[in-house]
Amino acid sequence: MNAFPDSHPQDPIRPARWFARGMRGAVSTPGLVLVATFIGFGGLLHDLGFPIFAGILSTLLVWALPAQVILVGGLAAGASLPALAVAVCLSGVRLLPMVVSLMPLMRGPRPRLLSELVCAHFVAVTMWAEGFRLLPKVAPEGRPSYAAGLGFGLTALSMAGTAIGFFLTGALPGPLAVALLLLTPISFAILLVRNARRPVDWLAIGLGTAISPLVANSPGGLDLFWAGVGGGTLAFFIARLLPERRA
Amino acid sequence: MNFFTTELGAMLVVIFVGFLPNEVWRVLGVLFGRRIDADSVWMQWVQAVATALLAAVVARLLLVPSGALVTLPLWLRAGAVASGIAGFLIGRRSVLAGVLVAETVLVVGAWWLGVSP
Repeated sequence: MNAFPDSHPQDPIRPARWFARGMRGAVSTPGLVLVATFIGFGGLLHDLGFPIFAGILSTLLVWALPAQVILVGGLAAGASLPALAVAVCLSGVRLLPMVVSLMPLMRGPRPRLLSELVCAHFVAVTMWAEGFRLLPKVAPEGRPSYAAGLGFGLTALSMAGTAIGFFLTGALPGPLAVALLLLTPISFAILLVRNARRPVDWLAIGLGTAISPLVANSPGGLDLFWAGVGGGTLAFFIARLLPERRA
Repeated sequence: MNFFTTELGAMLVVIFVGFLPNEVWRVLGVLFGRRIDADSVWMQWVQAVATALLAAVVARLLLVPSGALVTLPLWLRAGAVASGIAGFLIGRRSVLAGVLVAETVLVVGAWWLGVSP
């Protein structure tokens, strides 16, 4: 499926070809799981009464489902815009180490800032994992174009998923509609468990979950802010107090 | 929900409250990637906050659900996610296995309860 036809070194492949190959790489099992979660997001948009084109735009521009869910969920709950911006910003922190670690594989032999920014925009969990799997097999000069194609392919599929979920959810029979809406929380929960390695991660998961119901009706829609900053800070300090364990 | 229910208003919110605050981290990763120490104390704190925030998002999606999920009891919503995590851990850390287990528990549970949302 991901076989690369023999290419002759004398006959350099044009960037558009690499881009197309990257897009083809997006059609894979992780890509399809991603699309399914965006179908769930489309269903959420529909149920919250969020406009569909703005929702699709958020998939293209924000391209990080937790931030998108915080944004549309917070708007529906009546959160203030500055508080939402802070919550969205905090939720995006995990993108920084992903960009830093994947960038050497996406950069290619002649780095250019613009192409690096474009490639970095596409970095999210699936792109990160798939990039590490696919990019090492790509010739270095083709990597920036391939990475952009892969990212754009995943984004385009997810935008289609967002639209499908939005228009499908009203038409689905009950059991499938609930299944669709469960996709977002279950994929986030698995993402958390998959990334949890150190005690501080598990503490942050536990405290964030436990504090959330306690602050559920905070004034100004600040509940996510309190659960995130409060739970995360508490987890951070408790982990520092724990006896040092070398894994 | 008034300004945000129009396409244009919602798009502006997506750009200024969604895209820009989120994209900051990707741009920082490109510009300072080689100089940022991911293990510094500040980054550790920020990571812990991001993790707790995502956990709170999951908790809120389950506690205060939207649409068709409202008709199902909380224990079934939470139980489905918990069994999905178990499925992920048991099923060789396969995301697909976890999602399928969670969905099966939810749909079978809804059918067994006789809830038709």
